Amino acid sequence: MYRFVLSLLVALVVLPSFAVQALVTDLSNTRIEIRYSFDGAQLILFGAVGSSTINPVTSEYDIVIVVRGPNAPTVVRRKDNVGGIWINNENLVFPSAPGYYAVAASRPLDEIASATVYEANGIGFSNLPLLTKTARGLVAPDAVFKEALFRLRSGDGLYRQEKDTVTKLAEGLFKTDIHLPANVPVGKFNVETFLFQKGSLKSRDRINLTVDKEGFERAAYDFAHGYPFLYGLTAVFVAIGAGWLAGVLGKK
Amino acid sequence: MTLYLPIAEISMNIFLVIGMGAIVGFLSGMFGVGGGFLMTPLLIFVGVPPAVAVATESNEITAASVSGALAHWRRQGIDVKMGVVLIVGGAVGSFFGAQVFTYLRSLGQVDLMISLAYVLFLGLVGGLMFWESMRAIIRQYNGYVPPKTSREDRHKAWIHTLPFKMRFKKSRLYISALLPLAIGMLVGVLAAIMGVGGGFVMVPAMIYILGMPTNVVIGTSLFQIIFVTALTTIFHSVNTQTVDIFMAILLLFGAVVGAQMGARIGLKLQGEQLRALLALLVLLVCIKMGIGLVMEPDERFSVSAVIATEGAH
Repeated sequence: MYRFVLSLLVALVVLPSFAVQALVTDLSNTRIEIRYSFDGAQLILFGAVGSSTINPVTSEYDIVIVVRGPNAPTVVRRKDNVGGIWINNENLVFPSAPGYYAVAASRPLDEIASATVYEANGIGFSNLPLLTKTARGLVAPDAVFKEALFRLRSGDGLYRQEKDTVTKLAEGLFKTDIHLPANVPVGKFNVETFLFQKGSLKSRDRINLTVDKEGFERAAYDFAHGYPFLYGLTAVFVAIGAGWLAGVLGKK
Repeated sequence: MTLYLPIAEISMNIFLVIGMGAIVGFLSGMFGVGGGFLMTPLLIFVGVPPAVAVATESNEITAASVSGALAHWRRQGIDVKMGVVLIVGGAVGSFFGAQVFTYLRSLGQVDLMISLAYVLFLGLVGGLMFWESMRAIIRQYNGYVPPKTSREDRHKAWIHTLPFKMRFKKSRLYISALLPLAIGMLVGVLAAIMGVGGGFVMVPAMIYILGMPTNVVIGTSLFQIIFVTALTTIFHSVNTQTVDIFMAILLLFGAVVGAQMGARIGLKLQGEQLRALLALLVLLVCIKMGIGLVMEPDERFSVSAVIATEGAH
């Protein structure tokens, strides 16, 4: 927290007095460790907008914050009724869909800027370059499947849009909460903050964030994936030992 | 209190996991069954990915079978030779079952296969058990006593024409090794794709097809289940990395406690009533799985990570 306030103060002092607003942000934590008790995480992003006499921050400004998790090949499947039973039939592969995607804004997105501005800057789920793999190469996905991806991931708390707001604390200071659910994927995240004024993008700032398994959880995962045979053997011996123990204790 | 399971990659309430273990343990203690056919669907029902549920349950069944087999070992209720033949069959079946499982998982059809296997086998076994126990209850009510058939007479004529005959001293049998091999193989396949021990198929097969004496049936079946589920655990670990030791241990902990209580209640109930209740339970799980297949789902779409098939680099 101390580092935070300090960096913000420094930012406020150092920021040059340009007509264009300057922007500095920081996160309460840039490394999230997944341990046995992990049940999701809450992060706070603080930011400051540079002020000058010519262009005081008291003039209207808007903030949009986009948090993106690691991309991964993802498949969306649709169940169809085949011969009386519902089975996974059609599917669509997204070679690189973000495992986490959240947009927070100080006002409803459509009041801040126009759709073309968001499109140009790739802000918002609908502007993600989600292409799908087909026999003809990469093409724009079937809208139904793309919507399904958004709906399902939103349900899991992994995609969040129009849910979180950016709060203005004082002149030129703002903050927002970033919610990472328990099922958040591990990997590199980036948190990008966009400053808008009168509908146009004035400045942006980016922070990296890492989510990773740590300690025992990391070791167990690496063991299971790096040495699967030994892991299986260990699982068997643990089970035999536990079963034997239970049998001996149960007899008494 | 939630616990993050690093292999399953989900957070679960620790008391929920132990509680599920205890409930299934209670029922399995009461009915004298393994309980895999209850545990795996229950895990899937609370949101554990089906592949993780099946593979992890194999691991738990190994543990549960060790403690069960120990008790039978102490009173010499295991036909080791028969067990070994069943294990050889089971190893082959489990290997192929795990291969099919891995392949269908990459196609996104493993859930369908699990459901179909449950509906088919639980429907069959549950239906037969229910019919048989109802008949016994009705006969008992009417005071009808069926004439006793000797154990040897139960064998159908074709069974004696099979080659590769082997002598099983403990079971007092001289039959073709192909029979236990085939039964073991079927059980191995079921273990790998359903996350069960397979006792619900093996025990009736041992009694009605092999004609084994009842005092060695349970012990020998547990003996086979230890090894086949152990192999299944290793196959799933190598193929899909879906065995979560921590979940298995928590489930086992609950099951051990639950089974103690269940066994006490079970002693107070009559055999036929117990079997009828068990049959109903089996049919209930079968129907639950069946409904999931035929009812239009609320959400027709599902999302998952693309699972790389082996060899595809």
